[in-house]
Amino acid sequence: MDPSEVEFLAEKELVKIIPNFNLDKLYLIGGDLGPFNPGLPLYVPVWLALNLKQRQKCRVVPPDWMDVEKLEEMRELERNAATFTPAPCPYYMELTKLLLNHASDNIPKADEIRTLVKDIWDTRIAKLRLSADSFITQQEAHAKLDNLTLMEINTIRGFLLESLNCMYKLRSNLQPGSSKGPLADY
Amino acid sequence: MFVTDIRKEFYEAVADQRVALLVASDIDALCACRILQALFQCDQVQYTLIPVAGWQDLGTAFLEHKDQIKLLIKQDDDLGVPSYDEIFRDDDEDEEGGDSGNESDEGTEPSGKRRRFDEGSVERRIERQREKREWEARRREILFDYEQYEYHGTSAAMMFFELAWVLTKDTKDMLWWAIIGLTDQWVHDKVTHMKYVTDIATMQRHVSRHNHRNEDEENSLSIDCMRISFEYDLRLTLYQHWSLYESISNSCYTCCHFKLWTLNGQKKLQEFLADMGLPLKQVRQKFTSMDMSIKENLREVIEESSNKYGMKDIRIQTFGVHFGFKNRFLASDMVHATTALLESTEKDENETDNFIKALDSLSRSNLERLHSGMDLAKKKLIAIQQTVASCICTNLILSQGPFLYCYLMEGTPDVKLFSKPMALTLLSKYLLRAFIQSTRNKRCRLLPLIMAAPKDVEKGTVLVVGIPPESETSDKKNFFGRAFEKAAESTSSRTLHDHFDTSIIELKTEDRSKFLDALITLLS
Repeated sequence: MDPSEVEFLAEKELVKIIPNFNLDKLYLIGGDLGPFNPGLPLYVPVWLALNLKQRQKCRVVPPDWMDVEKLEEMRELERNAATFTPAPCPYYMELTKLLLNHASDNIPKADEIRTLVKDIWDTRIAKLRLSADSFITQQEAHAKLDNLTLMEINTIRGFLLESLNCMYKLRSNLQPGSSKGPLADY
Repeated sequence: MFVTDIRKEFYEAVADQRVALLVASDIDALCACRILQALFQCDQVQYTLIPVAGWQDLGTAFLEHKDQIKLLIKQDDDLGVPSYDEIFRDDDEDEEGGDSGNESDEGTEPSGKRRRFDEGSVERRIERQREKREWEARRREILFDYEQYEYHGTSAAMMFFELAWVLTKDTKDMLWWAIIGLTDQWVHDKVTHMKYVTDIATMQRHVSRHNHRNEDEENSLSIDCMRISFEYDLRLTLYQHWSLYESISNSCYTCCHFKLWTLNGQKKLQEFLADMGLPLKQVRQKFTSMDMSIKENLREVIEESSNKYGMKDIRIQTFGVHFGFKNRFLASDMVHATTALLESTEKDENETDNFIKALDSLSRSNLERLHSGMDLAKKKLIAIQQTVASCICTNLILSQGPFLYCYLMEGTPDVKLFSKPMALTLLSKYLLRAFIQSTRNKRCRLLPLIMAAPKDVEKGTVLVVGIPPESETSDKKNFFGRAFEKAAESTSSRTLHDHFDTSIIELKTEDRSKFLDALITLLS
């Protein structure tokens, strides 16, 4: 999967906006989008929120988890725990990037939020690398990791599968007699 | 066409149609075009962008699109005070060429009138014909007065910013473009100082409104957001992107006051720097790497010293923008960079490419282009100073009676840069100011200047520019447009009055002398 595909999936998440125009209810295939009234907040998917923001038709309200104190707490929890703590949001990395690139004037303390989210991401990816490393060296058969987001899984997927493939090839070459012939790669 | 309510009569009429934008080649038009593009993108209006360099281009573009388009909008801030754009309307009934306001108010063309032949009222017909002749004479007189002088009105970019403000779609980007459009008028000396200061005050109100909107809570903005601030900054061109020494040596104001083409002038400059306590090594370094202790009070220190040396107006009111950690620009820096890109004479570049590059450099995401524009601008400024120095030292400026005249020979270094109208105009203004400083003849100081430079060596044409005399109270009205036309007619010289700015024309090199003689007789 490409990171841009993950971002595309993340754009379906709902975010609160405050429009400045009038429009009746929209009936889209993915669902209904409520009537737009100026000054009244409502939830819309991120793709629509960004489009409206770029056309200066709305103001974006930052999601609840995008707050400096909450993110600081989460960062501390993440650093202290050995396993993964629940992420702020299933698509926290993509949403941070999208919202801070296009709507940073509506989000207070945007720079600090960017740093905090990056810190959380770095800690989690470090844990993931360690875990993948021990999985390969100890030649485990299966592992279970909770609370991973799709972006993190996508980051490690290519490397992990390739290395497991290589390990399998190396192992099967060490035992020439019991080789089952060339098997298909995953 | 006069428009009183720009939102209803202009924008709403246009917003649901397909628009063709014909844009002239100067920075003010570019900025206005950017603002309009941003507005169109907000409202998803389809538009076609056509750069035009002169009346002929305008004509060809109009004819090309004639069948599809009913209403054309072009930006140009030439000629005439209240109107800021020209609108050509091509209806089926009458062909009205609406030309910058006043003309279309003079009355409709009588060509559409059907004459009814009424035998009983022959006297009435004679009466009408006499009235028509008088009316025509009066019209010619008014038109002559109108077209005699040429001057610039309010910046087009500012007009479009006001439109965006009325639609409440104004952003900081648009405000910055409006400021650049206004500064372009000041840099190229198109408006009086009073008008510039008044317009700056208007822009200052908008700037404080935008700044208040964002900084009222204690939560400050991200560092990447654009911040515009009012600056009472030095008049040294590009000094923050160059070294201080280079900037002082190549800015018109300082160069003319110190007379830096003489040895005496160079000594005075060294004294000036010593007076301020700035070590030469620091001053020749890039501005960004100068010591912080020197940079802190630089403006006040320079202002104090320059007052002693007779430069009372070293500081000018302007605006600066600041986004990200590295990027600080003054409005005049951007004007110089974009002008250099628009008129760059590098090989393999045609005018449309230059136009697109210059348009791109105005947005925040194209910083490398902006920096390359600044490098080109630095080269252009150095070339201008060297040309000015050589012209004055070799007495190339001749007094022809009613005006001064200077011709750049073909072998002059960097003469290719001056085959473009704006560069040549800038050169002539610097040259006139330098000449006034260096001449002893009191009468010569009040004369206008005509400058000629080779434009196209193969076709054998020169570019001729006329600028009004330099005086404290000048209202920047330029009468050379009509003068050039009349001189060309009387000598049947082969000229091309294509440029929107009528005081800039193209002339065949062979006809140069008789054209000049005709001008001398005309103006004396």
